[in-house]
Amino acid sequence: MSPILAISGLSKQFGGVTALAGVDLAIEEGEILGVVGPNGSGKTTLFNVVTGVHRPSGGSVLFRGQDITGLKPHAISRAGIGYTFQQAMAFAGLGVLENVQIAGEHVRARADSTANPWPTPQALLDFVGLSAVANEKAGVLPFGSLRLLGLALALATRPSLLLLDEPAAGLNDRETTALVGLVRQLPGHGITVCVIDHDMKLMQMLCRRLAVLDFGSKIADGPTEAVLADPKVLEVYLGGDL
Amino acid sequence: MKEGLRQDRAGSVFKALRSLLPVLVILALIAAVPLFSPSNRFLSLAISAGINVIALYGLSVLFGQTGILSMGHAALVGVGAYAAAILARDFGVGFWAALPAAALASAVFAMIVGIPSLRVGGHHFVIMTFAFGQLLAIVLTNGGDYTGAATGLDLAGPVTLFGADMSDLTRYYLMVVAFVTSAAVASWAIINSSYGRTLRAIRENEKLAASLGINVGRHKIGAFVVSGIFAGISGVLLAYFLGHISPSQFSSFPSIYLALMVMIGGARLIEGPLAGGILVAFLPEVLNLDPVQSRIVYGVCLIAVIMLLPDGLIGGIVRALRAAFSGKPKQETQQRGAAEAQR
Repeated sequence: MSPILAISGLSKQFGGVTALAGVDLAIEEGEILGVVGPNGSGKTTLFNVVTGVHRPSGGSVLFRGQDITGLKPHAISRAGIGYTFQQAMAFAGLGVLENVQIAGEHVRARADSTANPWPTPQALLDFVGLSAVANEKAGVLPFGSLRLLGLALALATRPSLLLLDEPAAGLNDRETTALVGLVRQLPGHGITVCVIDHDMKLMQMLCRRLAVLDFGSKIADGPTEAVLADPKVLEVYLGGDL
Repeated sequence: MKEGLRQDRAGSVFKALRSLLPVLVILALIAAVPLFSPSNRFLSLAISAGINVIALYGLSVLFGQTGILSMGHAALVGVGAYAAAILARDFGVGFWAALPAAALASAVFAMIVGIPSLRVGGHHFVIMTFAFGQLLAIVLTNGGDYTGAATGLDLAGPVTLFGADMSDLTRYYLMVVAFVTSAAVASWAIINSSYGRTLRAIRENEKLAASLGINVGRHKIGAFVVSGIFAGISGVLLAYFLGHISPSQFSSFPSIYLALMVMIGGARLIEGPLAGGILVAFLPEVLNLDPVQSRIVYGVCLIAVIMLLPDGLIGGIVRALRAAFSGKPKQETQQRGAAEAQR
């Protein structure tokens, strides 16, 4: 089966700095893929190039066989790729429910949307466990709830691929466990997930497959246990021979 | 389940209608003013204020909902006014036909200004609109006979409605009140629609809005165009009311006044433009101030509003009422106000 997202030769230069040096990565339908790497390895640049925040210097991104390289962020979202940001974000001055309503109003309706209706904004709030604060302003939510709201917003755009950039950053253990529980359910609803993070504990909980970036290149890609045992990966993370 | 959804929708429509009610009541009271045989001076002042309020409703969509501040709104009013005057002079077009034509002219002008200007954000956009406003005044001043140069243009067409002459002050007053009501209802409809939600999303967080599939650039230009439509209609009413228009009426100073009015009244709530327009028009009259003094008072008012009532006068009143009725400690609402001001 062809991958849902096929990244090939993707590169990005900022002036003289190479942030991505020709990355190839395939995300398979229905999996939860983890992209890891130390700070500055190009994880977030990869995320930003795929979601249209930055234009790539070279290479291509195919989503379900369609070329989406260099599309604007709103067009990427409409194509069916949902994404959440490293900084937890919501429309702070608006109500929690209104936030999710907005998120659901700009999707290009899926072909099967009438046969298989997407959850209502209220149902999405139930899913992430925020229905009790539906009428509060998003700006008063604690940080952990804001992260969950961000997830609900991305889900409201009816994605078939969801990119999460450091979804557990700033969460305590209990909140992280709750988030993992939610994300694990997504493939069952037809949503492929790609998580970008450097928290190995989180990645081990979530992903069966890992790809490792270092200095803008992919240095490992495979089943989580194999990747974690890879000497190259150990060197990046632990600084060479022990 | 479906029943519940319908009830929900009916509930939200009811809630939205309730937010329109205070404005309608106030406007009904305002429409009853001629019963008390007011002076001509009062009526003239009220008509000017009403014409401003129509433009302010457009500005509130732009500033209150979308979060974009324009310092060139009077220029859009001017495009509407000059369109009405030139159409009447060269093509014999009357008041009613001039309304859609002028609205279109202002909308097109807004788009022409908006496409390059909205590529920059925040303060830069404010400066761009300021510059375009000034530019329009310069163009009109140097337009020779076509724009009447610095003297401006005369407009001596009668305004009739169903055969009745509306030029009489009281009748024109009532007509302006009707237009203000339409503007308020239109603005209310925008605020309570999914379009209004989209604009607020852009105001709150452009990056997040784009990630949810909202074409931020196009909607910002769209909001500017919508504000232009209100301004164009306001311009036609102004031109026919004064019978004479000149470039200085639409330069940057009047634009700053419009921005000031919408900020003092409060841009986000439906009552705001009405309150701001009336207050700024009648304050010098009530306090018996000369123009220099009134400018000082406006300045002080603006600073006071920005520091103490970030949602404008109406926003502040609504919050105070809510706090009083829900019995919430006053401190919390103040803290929230301060937090919003900081943002």
